[in-house]
Amino acid sequence: MSKPFFTVYCLIIYAFLLAPIAVVVIASFNAGAFLTFPPQGLSFRWYVVFFNNEVFMRAIRTSLWIAALTMVISGIIGTMAAMFYVTHAGKLKETVRVAMLAPLLLPEVLTAISLLFFVYSVGLGTQNLVGMIVGHVLITLPFVFINVSASMESYDPAWSLAAQSLGAGRFTRFRRIMLPLIKPGVIGGCLFAFIISFDVFTISFMLKGVGMSTLPIQLFDYLRTNFTPEAAAVSTCSIMLTMAVVIVSEKVLGLRIHRF
Amino acid sequence: MTEVSIEKLTKDYGQGPAVNSISIRIAEGEFISLLGPSGCGKTTTLKMIAGFEDATEGAIRFDGRDVVHVPVEKRDIGMVFQNYALFPHMTVEKNLAFGLEMRKTPKDEIRTRIARVLDMVQLTGYSERYPRQLSGGQQQRVALARALVIEPKILLLDEPLANLDAKLREEMRVFIRDLQRRVGITTVYVTHDQAEAMTMSDRVVVMFGGRIAQIGTPSDIYERPANLEVAEFVGQVNIVRGKVGNRIVSTAFGDIPVSGDHAAGTELMLALRPEAVELLPVSSGADGVPAKVLSSYYSGSLVDYRLELAGGATVSVQTFPRTRFADGDQVLVHAPADRFWPLGSAA
Repeated sequence: MSKPFFTVYCLIIYAFLLAPIAVVVIASFNAGAFLTFPPQGLSFRWYVVFFNNEVFMRAIRTSLWIAALTMVISGIIGTMAAMFYVTHAGKLKETVRVAMLAPLLLPEVLTAISLLFFVYSVGLGTQNLVGMIVGHVLITLPFVFINVSASMESYDPAWSLAAQSLGAGRFTRFRRIMLPLIKPGVIGGCLFAFIISFDVFTISFMLKGVGMSTLPIQLFDYLRTNFTPEAAAVSTCSIMLTMAVVIVSEKVLGLRIHRF
Repeated sequence: MTEVSIEKLTKDYGQGPAVNSISIRIAEGEFISLLGPSGCGKTTTLKMIAGFEDATEGAIRFDGRDVVHVPVEKRDIGMVFQNYALFPHMTVEKNLAFGLEMRKTPKDEIRTRIARVLDMVQLTGYSERYPRQLSGGQQQRVALARALVIEPKILLLDEPLANLDAKLREEMRVFIRDLQRRVGITTVYVTHDQAEAMTMSDRVVVMFGGRIAQIGTPSDIYERPANLEVAEFVGQVNIVRGKVGNRIVSTAFGDIPVSGDHAAGTELMLALRPEAVELLPVSSGADGVPAKVLSSYYSGSLVDYRLELAGGATVSVQTFPRTRFADGDQVLVHAPADRFWPLGSAA
């Protein structure tokens, strides 16, 4: 493939991926009363409406909370699973991997329905966030697992042995030697967990309690009855938030992640 | 300084013993090598001394105290790994400080001890480097320094020179040996390289199939091997067979006096090192067995000859290249009777 042709090819792919996002962002600055493209005049009008809309604000707070808790829980369980998988699983290695990746392979809606049955049969119900967080952890776990086990593959077990011979106990070995060396994978996995949890619809929809809603659910609800640019403003904020998480962690942690 | 005593140590992974009831007493400050082919149990033994492997049976005593149930991190050992296992996210200084921090050593003492150990391994000025910025030999020396700076009871080295090129390996042999003498630390060194074991150790433990074949000084092992396997593992050897008579063995080299009980009439194997043999020109008329040169290989300091004796047996001989013989030359082979070493009855 010749060079200029390849450049054009790449540009087309990027355009294809980014155009819908651009349309949403542009539409959010619409001054008109309806979600149209191209917009009729530019204004921050719908952002003001959105920020004053307590229903949306509450949904965003709920989503952020759930995403944060999911990230922490999934990060811990996923990292432990990856450590077991790489160092201790032995003959069970393949079985462990398939089991950990199962949530990715099953249709999300099936997982959601089974979880719904599950939370009721164990008496948990959907009155609080516990069931929803369990669901979010379940579907984000594979991403943490994949990222951490990938960085574990380049971890030399002799490093832990050396630390042990120098007098480091189990916890010190993990904190001072292993964790800093697998940090890129752990942080990458946690970011994935946060973003996916923030974005997921099906699981949240099935496991939400009455009167509770996350941002994607609220947005979906809103779009069923309204068609104002406020929806675009909400989407744009959601996109910005996700990007902010990625960029900040890259800038703040990224440099340190890759420096040994 | 610590005396280490290994008593009837056994490791069984479930498919027969990998280490079979071995006993070694290591004196204070002694440098001991565990030598043997891969799978002989030498690394397993080292791991048991370090505590990375549990002993199935037996005792390991540091100054009389059994440490079998003491976990690695409490055993106070210094270990050098084959691939050095330096922490890649820490500078040389932090690598060296790690063990001292685990021991809650005060900050200024850590600093002085690191300076001292860096001087000892000739790496002063390298403390801010990361391991990946060092050459293999330098990484090796950092690994040694990291093991020594904690002033452990015992230093354990697991084939530490295996990843270095030949020239550096010889330098490091001398370096490690000198360092060990200066520090005076009891040391166990695992290797499959007989030259390494011989040049560095006070005593060598030769292991085969999980058992100790022989323990002795390098010259014991080389000149007075316990059996055929040991003789063949440490260097080249000619096996000369002969019939036992009255306190003598009749061989192609004539009658060799032997001590010890060997039933008359049986066949005995004798070890004869290639460099113990002298080659003389036929014209010298000296005392020797006539032979023909089959082939010769010149390697600078030595020449390796393959010879065929009059009786048809072949012998390897190493000589200094002062007098050269060509392939096909007739020569006289002279092997002093005291250079033969009995290995036992031929099967």
